[in-house]
Amino acid sequence: MYLALKEMRRARVRFGLLAGAVGLLVYLILFQQAISTGLIDQFIGALKNQSADVLVYNAQARRNLEGSIVLPEQSAAIAEVEGVAVAAPLGEGTFTVVAGDPDADEQDAVIFGYQLGGPGEPTTLTAGRLPERTGEAVASSRNAADGFDVGDTVTVVPNAGGTATSFTVVGLAEEINYSVAPTLFTDFVGYDAARRAVNPDATDVLPSVVAVHVAEGADPAEVAEAITAAVDGTEALTRQQAVDESPGVSAVRQSFSVILLLFYLVAPLVTGLFFLIVTFQKAGALTLLRAIGAPAGLLVRSLVVQVAAVVVSGAAVAVGLFWLTTRTVIGSISVPFDLGAIGFTVGLVLVLALVTSLAAIRRVLRIEPIAATTGAGVHL
Amino acid sequence: MGLATTELRRRPGRFAVATVVLTFFSLLLLLLGGLLDGLFLGSTGAIRAQDADVIVYSSTARDSFLRSRLGSDVRAEVEAVPGVADVGGLGFTLLGATVPGENELADVAVAGYELPPTGVPEPPPAGHAWADRRLEDAGVSIGDTLLVGPSATPIVVDGWVEDTNYLQQGALWTTLDTWRTVQNANRPDAFVPDGVVQVLVVRGDGDLAASIDAATGSTSTLSVDDAVYALPGVASQQSTFNAIIFATLAVVLAVVALFFSLLTLERTGLYGVLKAIGASTARLFGGVVLQAVVVALVAFVAGGLLAWAADAALPGGIPLQLTVSRYVFTFVALIAAAVLGSAVSLRRVTRIDPASAIGSAA
Repeated sequence: MYLALKEMRRARVRFGLLAGAVGLLVYLILFQQAISTGLIDQFIGALKNQSADVLVYNAQARRNLEGSIVLPEQSAAIAEVEGVAVAAPLGEGTFTVVAGDPDADEQDAVIFGYQLGGPGEPTTLTAGRLPERTGEAVASSRNAADGFDVGDTVTVVPNAGGTATSFTVVGLAEEINYSVAPTLFTDFVGYDAARRAVNPDATDVLPSVVAVHVAEGADPAEVAEAITAAVDGTEALTRQQAVDESPGVSAVRQSFSVILLLFYLVAPLVTGLFFLIVTFQKAGALTLLRAIGAPAGLLVRSLVVQVAAVVVSGAAVAVGLFWLTTRTVIGSISVPFDLGAIGFTVGLVLVLALVTSLAAIRRVLRIEPIAATTGAGVHL
Repeated sequence: MGLATTELRRRPGRFAVATVVLTFFSLLLLLLGGLLDGLFLGSTGAIRAQDADVIVYSSTARDSFLRSRLGSDVRAEVEAVPGVADVGGLGFTLLGATVPGENELADVAVAGYELPPTGVPEPPPAGHAWADRRLEDAGVSIGDTLLVGPSATPIVVDGWVEDTNYLQQGALWTTLDTWRTVQNANRPDAFVPDGVVQVLVVRGDGDLAASIDAATGSTSTLSVDDAVYALPGVASQQSTFNAIIFATLAVVLAVVALFFSLLTLERTGLYGVLKAIGASTARLFGGVVLQAVVVALVAFVAGGLLAWAADAALPGGIPLQLTVSRYVFTFVALIAAAVLGSAVSLRRVTRIDPASAIGSAA
């Protein structure tokens, strides 16, 4: 151990560069994992944390809430499908609002309109209460400080000819953002008013989807299949399917998976190959150590200590950088500092680094002490 | 230099480690850049193609096309602004479309226009459209009648245009009237009466943005470049991906520095001998840099081929787009990182004392 640490102290630049490279790679892994998770959660949190068992889209919308409208005859037919206990409208739209201080800058907000007490209400209330009448709303807790706290008023900025519509925030719910914007859940009448405020020419305000509570004992997946089969031009999805199959979510997951896989390969590869070269260069000294009685186990342990020291010190740098990153908001996405995920990542990189160091360990184990007596003829 | 290239030729195994690692980095940089380009180009084509100086939104829309609405009264005010030469309406509707003979719907952006964007012909007859070639992947052919949206509004495809997509959806360029028909049939909550458009594209001279906003009092006017970056997520994607790409380049630099300092360390004795027989430090260092550049070049070629294979193998949902400019950027960045990284060895090469080095080598 003493030799291992002393060698690292003497070759600070070499080991420092390696630890720095590993640190940056681990930081990039942590950052991208967090961005991916944060992006997905803040894109579709509203779908994930609402109470409907099944959401019925217009099939033409390709599971895109923004592009879906359910026609009146479809809504009526959905309610008649076996296994459907309650079917109610759920509308979604993005609006320009003034939140909190009436003199505040305008900002974007997503408004969900649901039937009060029916399917589609937020399920992660952390403060206040659910809306009980038109004009009340639950807001995403993440945006409380942006004018969406309990007691704040949020006003939809009307277009020419429209009438301003306001909502009073009566509750906050966790992880209900949609499209990374501040999000409000209000009743469908309020949503209808918001739609007409920005488009006074609207001929009708149709629900984006129909939110369904299934009958007691019914399987949401089976009910969803039954709705899709029974009602022409619709596609019914369970809540989880709606989350997983939202446009962009699977693409984001797949894209980041490919990139992260490469980063997870590169970090231990750099470490393993570095130690392989160093072991090769130290072959003479290691042979001599073996010849004067140092057991192979000691040399292997020294190598393992160096690998662990490099990864752990690199990880410390990475966690520090990542902590600083989580203090800021990246493009409107806040990055969570999740200790569990950090521990898993560092542990996995360490294990992979040790695995890739097996080549160096194998070379150490193949050293023949007798070779020291033959002078320069050290073969590894 | 001859020695450096001879070593590369005779003992390629010595450089295999650095080459393999840099190949992975090259692949990573190309995939990261390809994703960024895919997201950017697929989202912004319709705006980048606008042959205009500025784009005018309603002031309440926060520079969002889909939320902006401008009536004929505002259009008249804009047309009267000094310096304004041409004004055209523009509107988008994002919908699914049924393609003849296909089971899967196509994601389309129906775009109504008056002033033709670059590469788009004059508006086609009512009910017809020029389709972005991306829709070919969804099974669309010239002459097809697409049934757009829940109301199945028919649109006939008359021909192809290139790189004009909007928010990752294939654009269908049609007349403003056809766009209004599609919008009103499929989005009654976003009904657009005659004369209303989402935005105005304007050609002209002078400080158009300030003049137009001052004249109307109800608009927000952006240059085309600013309009591109005002699209949802575009600016955030650019900054996030660029940060990751440049951090990855920093790692490449550290890794090159690491491997070449190890190689230099290994060759201290050899360099001592070479110095003793007259080789200059500059010549020896030049050899190290040349080797780093060759390693980076080989890694770039291997990484480029792997990226190309990945592009072909990855599912179509991943918006990966490998462009020539991305290859050029990655090549230049890798070479620059290799040169800078190998420069770490300069100090060690400079400090080699021929006499002591020969002694230790012996």
